Amino acid sequence: MTTPQALRSGYNHLVLILGVIFLVGPIALTFLSSTHTSATLARDSLQFSWGGHFLDNYSRVLTLEAGFTDSVTPLAMLKNSLIVGLGVATLTTGFSILSAYAVVFFRFKIAALVFWLVLVTLLFPLEARFVNTFEVAASLGLINTHAGIILPAVAAAIGTFFYRQYFLTLPEELLEAAIMDGTGPVKFFIDFIIPLSWPRTAAIFIISFMIGWNQYLWPLMISTDDSLYTLVRGIRLIGPTSGPGMALVIITIIPPFLLLLAFQKWAFNTLHVEQK
Amino acid sequence: MAGVELTGVRKIYPNGAEAVRGVDMTIEHGEFIVFVGPSGCGKSTLLRMVAGLESITEGEISIDGRIINEVSPADRDVAMVFQNYALYPHMTVRGNMSYGLKNRGNSKAEIHEKVEEAAKMLRIHDFLDRRPQQLSGGQRQRVAMGRAIVREPKVFLFDEPLSNLDAKLRVQMRIEIKRLQRRMDVTSIYVTHDQTEAMTLADRLAVINDGRIEQMGAPLELYNNPTTLFVASFIGSPQINLVPVVFDGDKLISGDIALSGFKDLPTDADLVLGIRPDDLTQNGEGEVSLRVDLVEQHGAENLIYGALLGAAAEEGEETEICIKVDQQTLPKIDATLKLGVNKSRALVFRKDNGQRVL
Repeated sequence: MTTPQALRSGYNHLVLILGVIFLVGPIALTFLSSTHTSATLARDSLQFSWGGHFLDNYSRVLTLEAGFTDSVTPLAMLKNSLIVGLGVATLTTGFSILSAYAVVFFRFKIAALVFWLVLVTLLFPLEARFVNTFEVAASLGLINTHAGIILPAVAAAIGTFFYRQYFLTLPEELLEAAIMDGTGPVKFFIDFIIPLSWPRTAAIFIISFMIGWNQYLWPLMISTDDSLYTLVRGIRLIGPTSGPGMALVIITIIPPFLLLLAFQKWAFNTLHVEQK
Repeated sequence: MAGVELTGVRKIYPNGAEAVRGVDMTIEHGEFIVFVGPSGCGKSTLLRMVAGLESITEGEISIDGRIINEVSPADRDVAMVFQNYALYPHMTVRGNMSYGLKNRGNSKAEIHEKVEEAAKMLRIHDFLDRRPQQLSGGQRQRVAMGRAIVREPKVFLFDEPLSNLDAKLRVQMRIEIKRLQRRMDVTSIYVTHDQTEAMTLADRLAVINDGRIEQMGAPLELYNNPTTLFVASFIGSPQINLVPVVFDGDKLISGDIALSGFKDLPTDADLVLGIRPDDLTQNGEGEVSLRVDLVEQHGAENLIYGALLGAAAEEGEETEICIKVDQQTLPKIDATLKLGVNKSRALVFRKDNGQRVL
């Protein structure tokens, strides 16, 4: 290896290392702080050192019983978060793949218009239409239900867009060969679209799971019942600047992280190397 | 038993473009028919209409006496081999070949047997469990054919199936396709723009131009007796030599060149004389001369390209012609060769409508 190459390689590594520090730093800081007492955190702010109260804080969180009737427990919150996360992920993925299938393969006249209308919804995030969405949800009787938390987050145009771009790369002949082999619209969807889109599906599923999992403001509005607390809302309940609060943050990160690990091969392949 | 019958078939797209302008054709059972023509002539559209991938605007197509205009592609009893193979990327070779059979409700044992048999015939037995991405171009081509064969269709349709292969493989697969078709005795329609492929594969070929059948017949028939200038210039490699001429009642005249020995030709129209490169011979007393421009060595023979001296020049361009000579004949550039014309093989066309007059 010649010197300029070594230099460049060193420089690349430096940039990557800085990037890793930038991304992992806050999590490490949170984790280390979660081993300190609430008093230390209140006095000296976040901590970069090991505090020795790991067990205290984490057991405090895991045995938490809060709320009016002590119904807000870690397990109940985890259950709610999972219902919301998986609900949002499943429905978003399902609607995305179906709408993209319709827009790309059924050449109805206004397909292009429909697609752009779907895409325009990106400009109206949930936060921008809280009041109206609340009205709709209320009139449908969705207040204080899981469905009420899930449904407004489901319309994610980005999923439709992702699938559409992929479907457009499929050669026309694939469809034609399938038609000549006796495939109808439903069969083509099941036998071709779903298996061919697996990597895409994994990526979209993870992204929308995180959107559902990390929701805060909307669940706060739509649910007043203690039984609907999610982990993210629990952080607020337990005190975000306290030691146990930090511990709950770390616990909250774990399930999406595990999901990402499980799907990483598929998901990253799609996001990085678009098919050759 | 009739094979495929096309009656007054037309294709007009919604935007008004007319791709096929009235085609009548009878294809006998077991015949190998090639549609050949330049790109955009409508040959693929015609094939896709037989396949059911394009609707038929007007006219009728029938297979074995059954009109199939309104029959779905899957129920037409045809199988198609696509230009880019269109293999199913997420299925193994076996999966690709069985898929259509499965949809048709064949039993597992039946499918297994048919796939094994086709795989043996095509020598793709060793990679039945691989995915298409793991195969070479030639192997993918075989799988695509295998997928068509297992269906045991009444008609095979090929849409330029060899154009993605390299030259050597193309020749090899060409021979294999022909052999296979003979062996299976299935009516086949094959679309190509390559006239060599067309000539070598076809029992009969249909030269298509601008949505119409220009001429249909056995390859040699079309080579020897083209009815139009288009067919004459499309069939044959190297291309036929074309010289603009007029007839003065006795001789064909082109500039300073006068060829005698012709009669009963129209004197009131511009004509085109067509002579195949094989019908010009080097000959000391030749009637025309060629100034050598380029010698192409093909091994067994050489092709000599050059200007036809004295011919009526069109817009300052000299008339370029080509002759075929043996491998020993290697004239110098700019040398002048005297050529004899085999007049019994000369073709004469009207310039205005391209119809043959001799």
